[in-house]
Amino acid sequence: MNKTILAAILVTVAMLGFTYASIEMAGGLDKFLSGGDWVNMLAILGAVVLVAATTFVVTKYIRQMQNDTVGGKLADENWDGIGEYKNEAPFGWALIYFGTIIWAIWYFLAGYPVNSYSQIGEYNEDTQVHDKKFEAEFAGILKDPEKLNEMGESIFIVQCAPCHGLTADGMGGKAADLHTRISEASVKHVINNGANYLKTSFPGGMPPMLLQDPAQIDAVAKYVANGFKADDVAGKEAFTAGTCNTCHGENGEGMPMVAPKLNAMDADMVAAVLKDGKKGAIGTMPAFTNLTEVQHKAVDAYVASLSKK
Amino acid sequence: MFHWLEKRPFFFAVAVFVVIAFAGLIEILPNFAQASRPIIGAKPYSTLELTGRLVYIKNNCNACHSQLIRPFKSETDRYGHYSMSGEYAYDRPFLWGSKRTGPDLMRVGNYRTTDWHENHMMNPPEVVPGSIMPQYPWLFKNVADLDTAYAEQLVIQKVFAVPYNTELPTADGSKVTVKLADTLEGARAEALEDAKVVAADMKNQDVKDAIAAGNVPEIVALIAYLNRLK
Repeated sequence: MNKTILAAILVTVAMLGFTYASIEMAGGLDKFLSGGDWVNMLAILGAVVLVAATTFVVTKYIRQMQNDTVGGKLADENWDGIGEYKNEAPFGWALIYFGTIIWAIWYFLAGYPVNSYSQIGEYNEDTQVHDKKFEAEFAGILKDPEKLNEMGESIFIVQCAPCHGLTADGMGGKAADLHTRISEASVKHVINNGANYLKTSFPGGMPPMLLQDPAQIDAVAKYVANGFKADDVAGKEAFTAGTCNTCHGENGEGMPMVAPKLNAMDADMVAAVLKDGKKGAIGTMPAFTNLTEVQHKAVDAYVASLSKK
Repeated sequence: MFHWLEKRPFFFAVAVFVVIAFAGLIEILPNFAQASRPIIGAKPYSTLELTGRLVYIKNNCNACHSQLIRPFKSETDRYGHYSMSGEYAYDRPFLWGSKRTGPDLMRVGNYRTTDWHENHMMNPPEVVPGSIMPQYPWLFKNVADLDTAYAEQLVIQKVFAVPYNTELPTADGSKVTVKLADTLEGARAEALEDAKVVAADMKNQDVKDAIAAGNVPEIVALIAYLNRLK
Protein backbone atom coordinates (compact mmCIF):
# COMPACT_ATOMS: atom_id res chain seq x y z
CA MET A 1 0.00 0.00 0.00
CA ASN A 2 1.13 3.52 -0.78
CA LYS A 3 2.79 5.31 2.15
CA THR A 4 0.63 8.42 1.67
CA ILE A 5 -2.63 6.48 1.86
CA LEU A 6 -1.40 4.67 4.95
CA ALA A 7 -0.57 8.01 6.59
CA ALA A 8 -4.00 9.35 5.62
CA ILE A 9 -5.76 6.39 7.24
CA LEU A 10 -3.67 6.82 10.39
CA VAL A 11 -4.46 10.55 10.59
CA THR A 12 -8.18 9.87 9.98
CA VAL A 13 -8.30 7.29 12.76
CA ALA A 14 -6.39 9.57 15.11
CA MET A 15 -8.67 12.56 14.42
CA LEU A 16 -11.85 10.51 14.74
CA GLY A 17 -10.45 9.09 18.00
CA PHE A 18 -9.81 12.60 19.20
CA THR A 19 -13.38 13.60 18.29
CA TYR A 20 -14.72 10.58 20.20
CA ALA A 21 -12.55 11.44 23.23
CA SER A 22 -13.86 15.02 23.19
CA ILE A 23 -17.44 13.78 23.15
CA GLU A 24 -16.68 11.42 26.04
CA MET A 25 -15.16 14.28 28.01
CA ALA A 26 -18.26 16.39 27.37
CA GLY A 27 -20.50 13.74 28.88
CA GLY A 28 -20.65 10.92 26.32
CA LEU A 29 -22.72 10.24 23.26
CA ASP A 30 -25.74 9.13 25.32
CA LYS A 31 -26.11 12.58 26.81
CA PHE A 32 -26.37 14.16 23.37
CA LEU A 33 -28.83 11.54 22.14
CA SER A 34 -31.07 11.62 25.21
CA GLY A 35 -31.39 15.39 25.25
CA GLY A 36 -33.14 15.36 21.88
CA ASP A 37 -30.95 18.30 20.90
CA TRP A 38 -30.25 17.76 17.22
CA VAL A 39 -27.84 20.71 17.10
CA ASN A 40 -25.26 18.67 19.03
CA MET A 41 -25.79 15.69 16.74
CA LEU A 42 -25.27 17.96 13.76
CA ALA A 43 -22.04 19.24 15.30
CA ILE A 44 -20.75 15.67 15.74
CA LEU A 45 -21.75 14.75 12.20
CA GLY A 46 -20.00 17.91 11.01
CA ALA A 47 -16.83 16.94 12.85
CA VAL A 48 -16.78 13.48 11.25
CA VAL A 49 -17.44 14.85 7.77
CA LEU A 50 -14.75 17.46 8.26
CA VAL A 51 -12.17 14.83 9.21
CA ALA A 52 -13.04 12.64 6.23
CA ALA A 53 -13.13 15.51 3.72
CA THR A 54 -9.87 17.03 4.97
CA THR A 55 -7.90 13.81 4.71
CA PHE A 56 -9.40 12.98 1.33
CA VAL A 57 -8.56 16.36 -0.20
CA VAL A 58 -5.08 16.56 1.34
CA THR A 59 -4.25 13.02 0.21
CA LYS A 60 -5.48 13.76 -3.30
CA TYR A 61 -3.25 16.81 -3.69
CA ILE A 62 -0.20 15.21 -2.10
CA ARG A 63 -0.52 12.30 -4.56
CA GLN A 64 -1.02 14.74 -7.41
CA MET A 65 2.18 16.55 -6.41
CA GLN A 66 4.00 13.23 -6.26
CA ASN A 67 2.76 11.85 -9.60
CA ASP A 68 1.64 14.65 -11.93
CA THR A 69 3.79 15.80 -14.84
CA VAL A 70 3.66 19.16 -16.59
CA GLY A 71 1.47 19.31 -19.68
CA GLY A 72 -1.15 21.28 -21.57
CA LYS A 73 -1.41 24.08 -24.06
CA LEU A 74 0.42 27.40 -23.57
CA ALA A 75 -1.49 30.67 -23.79
CA ASP A 76 -0.59 33.20 -26.51
CA GLU A 77 0.76 35.80 -24.12
CA ASN A 78 4.19 35.56 -22.68
CA TRP A 79 5.78 38.04 -20.33
CA ASP A 80 9.53 38.32 -20.76
CA GLY A 81 9.66 34.63 -21.62
CA ILE A 82 7.34 33.50 -18.82
CA GLY A 83 4.30 31.67 -20.23
CA GLU A 84 1.06 30.43 -18.79
CA TYR A 85 -0.83 27.18 -19.41
CA LYS A 86 -4.43 27.34 -20.57
CA ASN A 87 -6.00 25.53 -17.64
CA GLU A 88 -9.66 24.78 -17.42
CA ALA A 89 -11.29 26.20 -14.31
CA PRO A 90 -11.64 23.40 -11.71
CA PHE A 91 -15.15 21.95 -11.74
CA GLY A 92 -15.84 23.00 -8.13
CA TRP A 93 -14.86 26.59 -8.81
CA ALA A 94 -17.03 26.74 -11.90
CA LEU A 95 -19.92 25.36 -9.87
CA ILE A 96 -19.47 27.99 -7.15
CA TYR A 97 -19.13 30.73 -9.79
CA PHE A 98 -22.39 29.89 -11.55
CA GLY A 99 -24.07 29.13 -8.25
CA THR A 100 -23.16 32.62 -7.04
CA ILE A 101 -24.66 34.18 -10.16
CA ILE A 102 -27.91 32.26 -9.68
CA TRP A 103 -27.96 33.21 -6.01
CA ALA A 104 -27.32 36.87 -6.90
CA ILE A 105 -30.33 36.85 -9.25
CA TRP A 106 -32.48 35.28 -6.54
CA TYR A 107 -31.14 37.72 -3.97
CA PHE A 108 -31.88 40.73 -6.16
CA LEU A 109 -35.36 39.66 -7.27
CA ALA A 110 -36.73 37.69 -4.35
CA GLY A 111 -34.29 38.24 -1.51
CA TYR A 112 -33.28 41.73 -0.60
CA PRO A 113 -33.93 44.89 -2.65
CA VAL A 114 -36.77 44.27 -5.07
CA ASN A 115 -38.72 42.11 -2.65
CA SER A 116 -38.38 45.07 -0.27
CA TYR A 117 -36.98 43.19 2.63
CA SER A 118 -36.64 45.57 5.54
CA GLN A 119 -34.85 45.33 8.80
CA ILE A 120 -37.75 47.13 10.45
CA GLY A 121 -40.16 44.53 9.03
CA GLU A 122 -38.03 41.80 10.53
CA TYR A 123 -37.97 43.68 13.82
CA ASN A 124 -41.76 44.00 13.80
CA GLU A 125 -42.14 40.29 13.13
CA ASP A 126 -39.70 39.46 15.93
CA THR A 127 -41.59 41.70 18.30
CA GLN A 128 -44.92 40.13 17.39
CA VAL A 129 -43.56 36.65 17.93
CA HIS A 130 -42.06 37.70 21.24
CA ASP A 131 -45.24 39.39 22.42
CA LYS A 132 -47.30 36.32 21.57
CA LYS A 133 -44.85 34.10 23.45
CA PHE A 134 -44.95 36.49 26.41
CA GLU A 135 -48.76 36.50 26.45
CA ALA A 136 -48.93 32.73 26.23
CA GLU A 137 -46.33 32.21 28.94
CA PHE A 138 -47.84 34.68 31.38
CA ALA A 139 -51.51 34.29 30.46
CA GLY A 140 -52.72 33.57 33.99
CA ILE A 141 -50.19 35.67 35.85
CA LEU A 142 -52.67 38.25 37.12
CA LYS A 143 -54.32 35.51 39.15
CA ASP A 144 -51.02 34.25 40.54
CA PRO A 145 -49.73 36.84 43.04
CA GLU A 146 -46.48 35.01 43.71
CA LYS A 147 -45.50 34.86 40.04
CA LEU A 148 -46.66 38.46 39.52
CA ASN A 149 -44.46 39.56 42.39
CA GLU A 150 -41.51 37.72 40.88
CA MET A 151 -42.03 39.45 37.54
CA GLY A 152 -42.39 42.76 39.34
CA GLU A 153 -39.10 42.26 41.13
CA SER A 154 -37.22 41.50 37.92
CA ILE A 155 -38.68 44.57 36.23
CA PHE A 156 -37.92 46.65 39.30
CA ILE A 157 -34.25 45.67 39.17
CA VAL A 158 -33.96 46.87 35.56
CA GLN A 159 -36.30 49.87 35.48
CA CYS A 160 -36.51 51.22 39.03
CA ALA A 161 -33.31 50.18 40.82
CA PRO A 162 -31.09 52.74 39.03
CA CYS A 163 -32.75 55.44 41.16
CA HIS A 164 -34.52 53.66 44.03
CA GLY A 165 -31.70 51.17 44.62
CA LEU A 166 -31.73 47.39 44.50
CA THR A 167 -33.33 47.23 47.94
CA ALA A 168 -35.75 50.06 47.10
CA ASP A 169 -34.42 52.13 50.03
CA GLY A 170 -33.88 55.20 47.85
CA MET A 171 -30.07 54.99 48.23
CA GLY A 172 -29.71 57.44 51.08
CA GLY A 173 -32.31 59.96 49.99
CA LYS A 174 -31.51 59.99 46.24
CA ALA A 175 -35.04 58.74 45.57
CA ALA A 176 -38.11 57.81 47.59
CA ASP A 177 -37.75 54.95 50.09
CA LEU A 178 -40.42 52.58 48.83
CA HIS A 179 -40.68 50.62 52.07
CA THR A 180 -42.80 53.38 53.54
CA ARG A 181 -45.79 55.13 52.02
CA ILE A 182 -44.54 58.69 52.42
CA SER A 183 -41.83 60.59 54.28
CA GLU A 184 -42.30 63.64 56.49
CA ALA A 185 -40.31 65.73 54.02
CA SER A 186 -42.63 64.70 51.19
CA VAL A 187 -45.75 65.56 53.18
CA LYS A 188 -44.34 69.01 53.97
CA HIS A 189 -43.33 69.53 50.36
CA VAL A 190 -46.80 68.68 49.10
CA ILE A 191 -48.54 70.90 51.66
CA ASN A 192 -46.30 73.84 50.74
CA ASN A 193 -46.26 73.34 46.97
CA GLY A 194 -49.45 71.47 46.21
CA ALA A 195 -49.45 68.48 43.93
CA ASN A 196 -50.95 68.13 40.50
CA TYR A 197 -48.69 65.63 38.75
CA LEU A 198 -50.88 62.51 38.93
CA LYS A 199 -53.19 63.85 36.23
CA THR A 200 -54.57 60.53 34.98
CA SER A 201 -55.64 59.12 38.32
CA PHE A 202 -56.37 62.30 40.28
CA PRO A 203 -57.24 64.98 37.71
CA GLY A 204 -58.11 67.66 40.24
CA GLY A 205 -54.71 67.89 41.87
CA MET A 206 -54.14 69.42 45.28
CA PRO A 207 -53.78 73.15 45.93
CA PRO A 208 -50.82 74.46 47.95
CA MET A 209 -50.92 76.31 51.29
CA LEU A 210 -53.97 74.62 52.81
CA LEU A 211 -51.97 74.82 56.02
CA GLN A 212 -49.62 77.68 56.74
CA ASP A 213 -48.70 77.38 60.40
CA PRO A 214 -45.33 75.51 60.54
CA ALA A 215 -46.32 73.74 63.74
CA GLN A 216 -49.47 72.38 62.14
CA ILE A 217 -47.61 71.34 59.01
CA ASP A 218 -45.09 69.52 61.23
CA ALA A 219 -47.88 67.78 63.09
CA VAL A 220 -49.59 66.63 59.89
CA ALA A 221 -46.27 65.46 58.43
CA LYS A 222 -45.56 63.31 61.49
CA TYR A 223 -49.14 62.04 61.64
CA VAL A 224 -49.22 61.00 57.98
CA ALA A 225 -45.65 59.65 57.79
CA ASN A 226 -46.18 57.53 60.90
CA GLY A 227 -49.28 55.89 59.51
CA PHE A 228 -52.22 57.74 61.15
CA LYS A 229 -51.64 56.62 64.74
CA ALA A 230 -54.88 57.12 66.71
CA ASP A 231 -53.04 58.42 69.81
CA ASP A 232 -51.48 61.31 67.84
CA VAL A 233 -54.24 63.75 68.77
CA ALA A 234 -52.37 66.90 67.69
CA GLY A 235 -51.66 65.35 64.31
CA LYS A 236 -55.25 64.33 63.80
CA GLU A 237 -56.47 67.80 64.73
CA ALA A 238 -54.09 69.48 62.31
CA PHE A 239 -55.07 66.97 59.63
CA THR A 240 -58.69 68.00 60.06
CA ALA A 241 -57.81 71.69 60.37
CA GLY A 242 -56.10 71.57 56.98
CA THR A 243 -59.21 69.92 55.50
CA CYS A 244 -56.91 67.09 54.43
CA ASN A 245 -59.57 64.60 55.53
CA THR A 246 -62.19 65.87 53.09
CA CYS A 247 -60.28 64.39 50.19
CA HIS A 248 -57.80 61.94 51.68
CA GLY A 249 -60.32 60.49 54.16
CA GLU A 250 -60.35 60.45 57.96
CA ASN A 251 -57.59 57.86 58.15
CA GLY A 252 -55.91 58.59 54.85
CA GLU A 253 -57.76 55.91 52.94
CA GLY A 254 -58.04 58.21 49.89
CA MET A 255 -60.84 58.67 47.38
CA PRO A 256 -60.83 57.33 43.81
CA MET A 257 -60.25 60.04 41.17
CA VAL A 258 -59.88 62.68 43.91
CA ALA A 259 -57.01 61.94 46.25
CA PRO A 260 -54.54 59.10 46.73
CA LYS A 261 -54.50 56.76 49.70
CA LEU A 262 -52.03 57.96 52.31
CA ASN A 263 -52.04 55.29 55.01
CA ALA A 264 -50.45 52.49 52.99
CA MET A 265 -48.65 51.93 49.73
CA ASP A 266 -51.07 50.20 47.40
CA ALA A 267 -50.91 49.04 43.81
CA ASP A 268 -53.19 51.82 42.56
CA MET A 269 -50.86 54.49 43.91
CA VAL A 270 -47.83 52.90 42.27
CA ALA A 271 -49.80 52.62 39.02
CA ALA A 272 -50.71 56.31 39.19
CA VAL A 273 -47.08 57.37 39.62
CA LEU A 274 -45.85 55.05 36.87
CA LYS A 275 -48.42 56.48 34.48
CA ASP A 276 -47.67 60.17 34.99
CA GLY A 277 -44.34 60.39 36.74
CA LYS A 278 -43.99 62.91 39.55
CA LYS A 279 -42.08 65.88 40.84
CA GLY A 280 -41.74 65.73 44.57
CA ALA A 281 -39.57 66.71 47.50
CA ILE A 282 -36.53 64.81 46.23
CA GLY A 283 -36.71 65.39 42.51
CA THR A 284 -38.39 64.35 39.31
CA MET A 285 -39.45 60.84 38.38
CA PRO A 286 -40.20 60.19 34.72
CA ALA A 287 -43.36 58.39 33.61
CA PHE A 288 -42.84 54.76 32.63
CA THR A 289 -44.85 54.35 29.46
CA ASN A 290 -42.55 51.69 28.04
CA LEU A 291 -44.04 48.84 30.08
CA THR A 292 -46.93 46.64 29.00
CA GLU A 293 -50.15 46.41 31.00
CA VAL A 294 -49.10 43.16 32.66
CA GLN A 295 -45.64 44.52 33.46
CA HIS A 296 -47.24 47.60 35.02
CA LYS A 297 -49.43 45.45 37.22
CA ALA A 298 -46.42 43.35 38.21
CA VAL A 299 -44.40 46.39 39.30
CA ASP A 300 -47.43 47.82 41.14
CA ALA A 301 -47.84 44.58 43.06
CA TYR A 302 -44.15 44.27 43.85
CA VAL A 303 -43.69 47.84 45.08
CA ALA A 304 -46.90 47.65 47.11
CA SER A 305 -45.62 44.45 48.72
CA LEU A 306 -42.37 46.11 49.84
CA SER A 307 -44.00 48.09 52.62
CA LYS A 308 -45.81 45.04 53.94
CA LYS A 309 -42.64 43.06 54.67
CA MET B 1 -9.87 44.96 -25.66
CA PHE B 2 -8.24 43.53 -22.54
CA HIS B 3 -4.95 42.99 -24.32
CA TRP B 4 -5.04 46.63 -25.34
CA LEU B 5 -5.76 47.72 -21.77
CA GLU B 6 -3.18 45.43 -20.22
CA LYS B 7 -0.44 47.07 -22.21
CA ARG B 8 -1.43 50.63 -21.21
CA PRO B 9 -1.06 51.22 -17.47
CA PHE B 10 -2.67 54.68 -17.56
CA PHE B 11 -5.86 53.61 -19.33
CA PHE B 12 -5.91 50.45 -17.23
CA ALA B 13 -5.88 52.62 -14.09
CA VAL B 14 -8.70 54.74 -15.52
CA ALA B 15 -10.73 51.62 -16.32
CA VAL B 16 -10.20 50.28 -12.80
CA PHE B 17 -11.31 53.60 -11.36
CA VAL B 18 -14.45 53.66 -13.51
CA VAL B 19 -15.44 50.13 -12.55
CA ILE B 20 -14.89 50.67 -8.83
CA ALA B 21 -16.53 54.10 -8.89
CA PHE B 22 -19.58 52.55 -10.56
CA ALA B 23 -19.87 49.99 -7.78
CA GLY B 24 -19.49 52.79 -5.25
CA LEU B 25 -22.21 54.90 -6.88
CA ILE B 26 -24.63 51.98 -6.87
CA GLU B 27 -24.19 51.76 -3.12
CA ILE B 28 -24.06 55.46 -2.30
CA LEU B 29 -26.65 57.05 -4.61
CA PRO B 30 -29.76 55.34 -3.18
CA ASN B 31 -28.79 56.67 0.25
CA PHE B 32 -28.74 60.23 -1.07
CA ALA B 33 -32.19 59.68 -2.53
CA GLN B 34 -33.51 58.97 0.94
CA ALA B 35 -31.30 61.60 2.55
CA SER B 36 -31.72 62.10 6.26
CA ARG B 37 -34.43 64.69 6.20
CA PRO B 38 -35.47 65.67 9.71
CA ILE B 39 -38.39 63.60 10.93
CA ILE B 40 -41.39 65.26 12.54
CA GLY B 41 -40.33 66.19 16.04
CA ALA B 42 -36.65 66.71 15.30
CA LYS B 43 -35.52 70.18 16.29
CA PRO B 44 -32.21 72.04 16.31
CA TYR B 45 -30.23 72.43 19.53
CA SER B 46 -30.69 75.51 21.66
CA THR B 47 -27.58 77.37 22.77
CA LEU B 48 -27.47 75.62 26.16
CA GLU B 49 -28.11 72.19 24.67
CA LEU B 50 -25.44 72.67 22.04
CA THR B 51 -23.05 73.79 24.77
CA GLY B 52 -23.86 70.57 26.61
CA ARG B 53 -23.23 68.61 23.45
CA LEU B 54 -19.80 70.20 23.20
CA VAL B 55 -19.15 69.25 26.84
CA TYR B 56 -20.23 65.70 25.96
CA ILE B 57 -17.74 65.59 23.10
CA LYS B 58 -15.00 67.31 25.10
CA ASN B 59 -15.22 64.71 27.85
CA ASN B 60 -15.33 61.94 25.27
CA CYS B 61 -18.60 60.48 26.50
CA ASN B 62 -19.10 59.06 23.01
CA ALA B 63 -16.09 56.77 23.47
CA CYS B 64 -18.13 54.64 25.87
CA HIS B 65 -21.75 55.59 25.15
CA SER B 66 -23.43 55.06 21.81
CA GLN B 67 -26.41 57.04 20.56
CA LEU B 68 -27.93 54.52 18.23
CA ILE B 69 -30.65 52.04 19.17
CA ARG B 70 -30.71 49.13 16.76
CA PRO B 71 -34.02 47.56 15.74
CA PHE B 72 -33.74 44.52 18.01
CA LYS B 73 -36.31 43.59 20.62
CA SER B 74 -33.62 43.40 23.30
CA GLU B 75 -32.51 46.98 22.57
CA THR B 76 -35.91 48.59 22.19
CA ASP B 77 -37.02 46.98 25.45
CA ARG B 78 -34.14 48.59 27.23
CA TYR B 79 -33.63 51.92 25.47
CA GLY B 80 -36.91 52.74 23.71
CA HIS B 81 -37.85 53.15 20.05
CA TYR B 82 -35.13 52.24 17.56
CA SER B 83 -33.25 55.19 16.04
CA MET B 84 -34.25 56.67 12.72
CA SER B 85 -31.96 58.52 10.33
CA GLY B 86 -34.07 61.69 10.39
CA GLU B 87 -33.54 62.05 14.12
CA TYR B 88 -29.89 62.89 13.51
CA ALA B 89 -30.62 65.63 10.99
CA TYR B 90 -29.28 68.37 13.29
CA ASP B 91 -26.38 66.36 14.72
CA ARG B 92 -23.05 67.67 13.46
CA PRO B 93 -21.20 65.42 13.91
CA PHE B 94 -23.50 62.56 14.80
CA LEU B 95 -22.47 60.68 17.93
CA TRP B 96 -23.56 57.16 17.06
CA GLY B 97 -20.48 55.62 18.58
CA SER B 98 -19.44 52.07 17.86
CA LYS B 99 -18.72 50.68 21.29
CA ARG B 100 -20.91 50.38 24.34
CA THR B 101 -18.81 50.30 27.44
CA GLY B 102 -21.71 52.15 29.04
CA PRO B 103 -25.35 51.99 27.97
CA ASP B 104 -26.83 53.72 24.94
CA LEU B 105 -27.91 57.32 25.56
CA MET B 106 -30.07 57.99 22.47
CA ARG B 107 -33.23 58.43 24.60
CA VAL B 108 -31.77 58.85 28.07
CA GLY B 109 -33.99 61.92 28.60
CA ASN B 110 -37.01 59.61 28.75
CA TYR B 111 -35.92 57.64 31.77
CA ARG B 112 -33.33 59.66 33.69
CA THR B 113 -33.80 63.02 35.34
CA THR B 114 -31.73 66.06 36.27
CA ASP B 115 -31.23 64.98 39.89
CA TRP B 116 -30.21 61.48 38.84
CA HIS B 117 -27.58 62.87 36.44
CA GLU B 118 -26.33 65.18 39.18
CA ASN B 119 -25.82 62.29 41.61
CA HIS B 120 -24.41 60.08 38.90
CA MET B 121 -21.78 62.43 37.43
CA MET B 122 -20.47 63.23 40.89
CA ASN B 123 -19.99 59.57 41.81
CA PRO B 124 -21.37 56.93 39.44
CA PRO B 125 -20.92 53.80 41.64
CA GLU B 126 -23.02 55.46 44.33
CA VAL B 127 -26.15 55.22 42.17
CA VAL B 128 -25.13 52.35 39.92
CA PRO B 129 -23.37 49.72 42.06
CA GLY B 130 -20.45 48.21 40.18
CA SER B 131 -20.31 51.00 37.61
CA ILE B 132 -16.85 51.55 36.12
CA MET B 133 -17.68 55.05 34.88
CA PRO B 134 -15.22 57.61 36.25
CA GLN B 135 -16.29 60.60 38.32
CA TYR B 136 -16.70 63.96 36.62
CA PRO B 137 -16.39 66.46 39.51
CA TRP B 138 -14.84 69.19 37.37
CA LEU B 139 -18.07 69.54 35.41
CA PHE B 140 -19.56 71.13 38.54
CA LYS B 141 -16.79 73.78 38.66
CA ASN B 142 -15.91 74.50 35.02
CA VAL B 143 -17.82 77.29 33.36
CA ALA B 144 -19.38 76.18 30.10
CA ASP B 145 -18.26 77.70 26.82
CA LEU B 146 -21.50 79.26 25.56
CA ASP B 147 -19.69 81.46 23.04
CA THR B 148 -18.40 78.54 20.96
CA ALA B 149 -21.83 76.98 20.90
CA TYR B 150 -23.38 80.25 19.74
CA ALA B 151 -20.75 80.58 17.02
CA GLU B 152 -21.53 77.05 15.90
CA GLN B 153 -25.23 77.87 15.81
CA LEU B 154 -24.61 80.90 13.61
CA VAL B 155 -22.47 78.85 11.25
CA ILE B 156 -24.89 75.96 10.86
CA GLN B 157 -27.76 78.38 10.41
CA LYS B 158 -25.94 80.15 7.57
CA VAL B 159 -24.18 77.20 5.94
CA PHE B 160 -26.66 74.34 6.45
CA ALA B 161 -29.86 76.40 6.72
CA VAL B 162 -30.68 74.89 10.11
CA PRO B 163 -34.17 76.22 10.90
CA TYR B 164 -33.69 78.42 13.94
CA ASN B 165 -36.46 80.91 14.76
CA THR B 166 -38.79 78.85 12.57
CA GLU B 167 -41.98 77.07 13.54
CA LEU B 168 -41.40 73.32 13.41
CA PRO B 169 -44.04 70.60 13.69
CA THR B 170 -43.90 68.11 16.55
CA ALA B 171 -45.26 64.61 16.88
CA ASP B 172 -48.36 65.68 18.84
CA GLY B 173 -49.35 68.29 16.25
CA SER B 174 -48.20 71.38 18.13
CA LYS B 175 -45.50 73.74 16.88
CA VAL B 176 -42.17 74.45 18.45
CA THR B 177 -39.67 77.22 17.78
CA VAL B 178 -36.02 77.02 18.72
CA LYS B 179 -34.80 80.54 19.25
CA LEU B 180 -31.44 81.82 18.14
CA ALA B 181 -30.50 85.18 19.60
CA ASP B 182 -29.32 88.04 17.35
CA THR B 183 -26.37 88.89 19.56
CA LEU B 184 -23.88 87.00 21.69
CA GLU B 185 -25.20 88.77 24.79
CA GLY B 186 -28.72 87.68 23.90
CA ALA B 187 -27.59 84.09 23.44
CA ARG B 188 -25.80 84.11 26.80
CA ALA B 189 -28.91 85.51 28.51
CA GLU B 190 -31.16 82.89 26.91
CA ALA B 191 -28.81 80.07 27.84
CA LEU B 192 -28.71 81.35 31.42
CA GLU B 193 -32.53 81.34 31.57
CA ASP B 194 -32.59 77.73 30.33
CA ALA B 195 -29.82 76.85 32.78
CA LYS B 196 -31.84 78.25 35.70
CA VAL B 197 -34.67 75.84 34.89
CA VAL B 198 -32.29 72.88 34.96
CA ALA B 199 -30.40 74.07 38.03
CA ALA B 200 -33.66 74.48 39.96
CA ASP B 201 -33.74 70.69 40.22
CA MET B 202 -30.11 70.46 41.40
CA LYS B 203 -28.68 70.48 44.89
CA ASN B 204 -24.97 71.16 44.40
CA GLN B 205 -24.00 74.45 46.07
CA ASP B 206 -21.22 75.27 43.56
CA VAL B 207 -23.77 75.02 40.76
CA LYS B 208 -26.27 77.23 42.55
CA ASP B 209 -23.58 79.83 43.28
CA ALA B 210 -22.38 79.85 39.69
CA ILE B 211 -25.89 80.27 38.32
CA ALA B 212 -26.56 83.08 40.81
CA ALA B 213 -23.38 84.79 39.58
CA GLY B 214 -24.61 84.51 36.01
CA ASN B 215 -22.33 81.67 34.94
CA VAL B 216 -23.39 78.32 33.52
CA PRO B 217 -21.42 75.35 34.89
CA GLU B 218 -20.64 72.59 32.38
CA ILE B 219 -22.75 70.07 34.28
CA VAL B 220 -25.89 72.16 33.75
CA ALA B 221 -25.29 72.40 30.01
CA LEU B 222 -24.55 68.68 29.83
CA ILE B 223 -27.72 67.78 31.74
CA ALA B 224 -29.76 70.11 29.51
CA TYR B 225 -28.35 68.18 26.55
CA LEU B 226 -28.98 64.74 28.11
CA ASN B 227 -32.53 65.69 29.08
CA ARG B 228 -33.39 66.55 25.51
CA LEU B 229 -32.17 63.21 24.17
CA LYS B 230 -35.58 61.66 23.69
